[in-house]
Amino acid sequence: MSRNVVVTGIGVVNAAVVGASPALGAWLARPSAVPPTGARPAVRLPERTLAGLVDPAEARRLSRVCQLTIAAARLAVAESGLDPARGLGLVVGSALGDFTSTIAFADGFLTRGPGGLSALLFPNTVMNTMAATTAIAVASRELALTINVPTVAGELAVARGAAAVASGRTDAVLAGGVDELDPLVAEMLDALGDDGLRGEGATFLVLEAEAAARARGAPSLGRIAGVAWRAIPAGPWGVGRRTTSRAIGDAVTRAGGAAPQWLYVSASGDARRDAWEARVLAAALGAPRPPAVSLAALVGHHAGLGALHVAAAAWTSRSGVLPAPDGGAGVAVTGDGLVHGLARGGGHVALVVGSGDTAWMPAAGHEGPPMELPTS
Amino acid sequence: MRRVVVTGLGAVSPFGAGVKAYWAGLAAGACAIRPLTLIDAGAFRCRIAAEVPDLRDGSSRRSRADRLALAAATEALDDAGLGRRECAEAALIVGAVGGGMLEAEEWYWARARGERPSGWAPALRAILPGAHAEMLGHRLGLGGPRHTVVTACSSGAVALAEAAELIADGVADVAVAGGVDAMTRLCFMGFNALKLLDPEPCRPFDRDRRGMSIGEGAAFVVLEAAERARARGARPYVELAGHGMTTDAYHVTAPEPEGDGMVRAMRAALAAGGVEPAAIGYANAHGTATPQNDRIEARAIARVFGDGRLLVSATKSMIGHTMAAAGSLEAVATILALVYETIPPTANLAIPDPEVGFDCVPRVAREAEVEHAISNSFGFGGQNVTLLFRRV
Repeated sequence: MSRNVVVTGIGVVNAAVVGASPALGAWLARPSAVPPTGARPAVRLPERTLAGLVDPAEARRLSRVCQLTIAAARLAVAESGLDPARGLGLVVGSALGDFTSTIAFADGFLTRGPGGLSALLFPNTVMNTMAATTAIAVASRELALTINVPTVAGELAVARGAAAVASGRTDAVLAGGVDELDPLVAEMLDALGDDGLRGEGATFLVLEAEAAARARGAPSLGRIAGVAWRAIPAGPWGVGRRTTSRAIGDAVTRAGGAAPQWLYVSASGDARRDAWEARVLAAALGAPRPPAVSLAALVGHHAGLGALHVAAAAWTSRSGVLPAPDGGAGVAVTGDGLVHGLARGGGHVALVVGSGDTAWMPAAGHEGPPMELPTS
Repeated sequence: MRRVVVTGLGAVSPFGAGVKAYWAGLAAGACAIRPLTLIDAGAFRCRIAAEVPDLRDGSSRRSRADRLALAAATEALDDAGLGRRECAEAALIVGAVGGGMLEAEEWYWARARGERPSGWAPALRAILPGAHAEMLGHRLGLGGPRHTVVTACSSGAVALAEAAELIADGVADVAVAGGVDAMTRLCFMGFNALKLLDPEPCRPFDRDRRGMSIGEGAAFVVLEAAERARARGARPYVELAGHGMTTDAYHVTAPEPEGDGMVRAMRAALAAGGVEPAAIGYANAHGTATPQNDRIEARAIARVFGDGRLLVSATKSMIGHTMAAAGSLEAVATILALVYETIPPTANLAIPDPEVGFDCVPRVAREAEVEHAISNSFGFGGQNVTLLFRRV
């Protein structure tokens, strides 16, 4: 069985955009960067923004990265209008999980011995903590996966969620990615030579079988026409030499075979990885390469970025505009596009994204970027 | 959808390296839970665990968990007789939780002492759960679809379910799937903090059970489309006939009291395999030996299968709870139970819990010819998985 998969809800929480599809669409029409801060510049989400999204009583029980996940997930489910009781799966992609809680748990022991161990923090040391808390928050009772991979966790989570819907195993999946910035993690990534611009946040999409979405009158904000993921040979955390992979070809074939007309790529400023991705795309798509964009320079790299690219691709396919990261007018495009992710270590993801049949509504009362967010 | 069969097995367990050692230990009802040596447990009430003995394979630059995974996955591939070309297209799905945390903890503990540890890049690179898949893919030349799933203690079983879906849907013809976890301080301390560890070897389904024992290990299987396995003359062990994956959406650590999510997972697996409850002869239980888990799991099994008839055993009584490896090690135990027509026992079970209405195969393995068997795995966050195996 292979069913059409549509996007019926979007939730974005990062330093540049907070909201559902209207906020995202408004930002993509005139994208602006959030200035990186800190000694090792990174794009951070202001605490007061997050505080405005999660009830204080609930927030006290949740780690910060779980709050990010739940906030974006709720935005997406609310926009879709889906009743989770009808069946909702969950796929969370994350590169780093809840390291902040893991470090705090270890510090409890190192400073106070066994008496310093927190039974409340311990569950957060397992990377499925975001999925576990979000499943409770949105009443998702079907499969709930957490997928861990560097760089492309968000793209992979959406691809996996779309595959579950396409196969007929479930009618609806909430899928996306999330990561947060942590000083110790930054120290470790520095030690490993990761030199991309880092960010944090969460983006989630509700994916549904088109027939089921139509039957309940749900919006169709975009279409996931084909997905595939594979691995290109590379050492752990490494950049490979090979440039051939069936991921792009398989995704395009599943989407009907038409060549993608534009690209969202995972380029994040990690110079060696970005160069490898360019070679892989050239090998798969030939020349001239379709116009391409990455939003990493605007919001920083995190697992939510891959899902953000899928949501943005849905907007591009509907609006006919590939946004310009420098805030310019963007590039006029037509047809379906490709969301592409390539990770250190060789994880390779491709999604063909097309237009839905619902217009993206502008954010109410909004001109320019959807929210004036502080950047401290 | 295509039928999926198991054509290769690999395991590294607290009984040692290899499927042969694993089955010998299980069939003998031996208990591999002993005083802990890998980490300092002196400050804790529980000081025992099931460690893998004599782990010598591989480079010392690799994390202990990576070495466990590599040994098990290599054995599974060798057992299946897959060639290099087939591996290049094979999917790889890994269930993991702790990653290379054991070595990273040493770095962090040293850092906390005020030292300036150097030369730790390999440990930091291997710290995340996804690192095992990168290492295995690179070392074994696995170039098909690849991902790492983290569903806490059910991760290893989810990996098999994920791989089976890829094959059933025609995305891949062959897959290597399994779970791995090495002992870590965080895990041992965490379950101590939750007061879930028994200072004595665990006793699943015993009236006087007092909690779990931690273990470590890895198990991988090779899954193939049945037609393809037949075409290349491979010998299938069993068919992976169905699976069910559900979520409680109830609590981050406690299972839902009525076992609804567990029931849905078992029923989904039966439905996927087109099998009635009466056809199931054996259930390898999640069986952690915590008072709460065993009571709720027994209740859930009874809701699906009725009281009494089903043989139920908990192999954690012998190898401890091996975390992300548990689901795949128990899947291998279930497969071998079908193949050898022998039900592995529940070790240390002296006084059966009167609330558990099943024959839990106390202490001694039992001969039984079974056509279908299930393996249950449940994780923090109410992440429930049931795998259904059928003899071929």
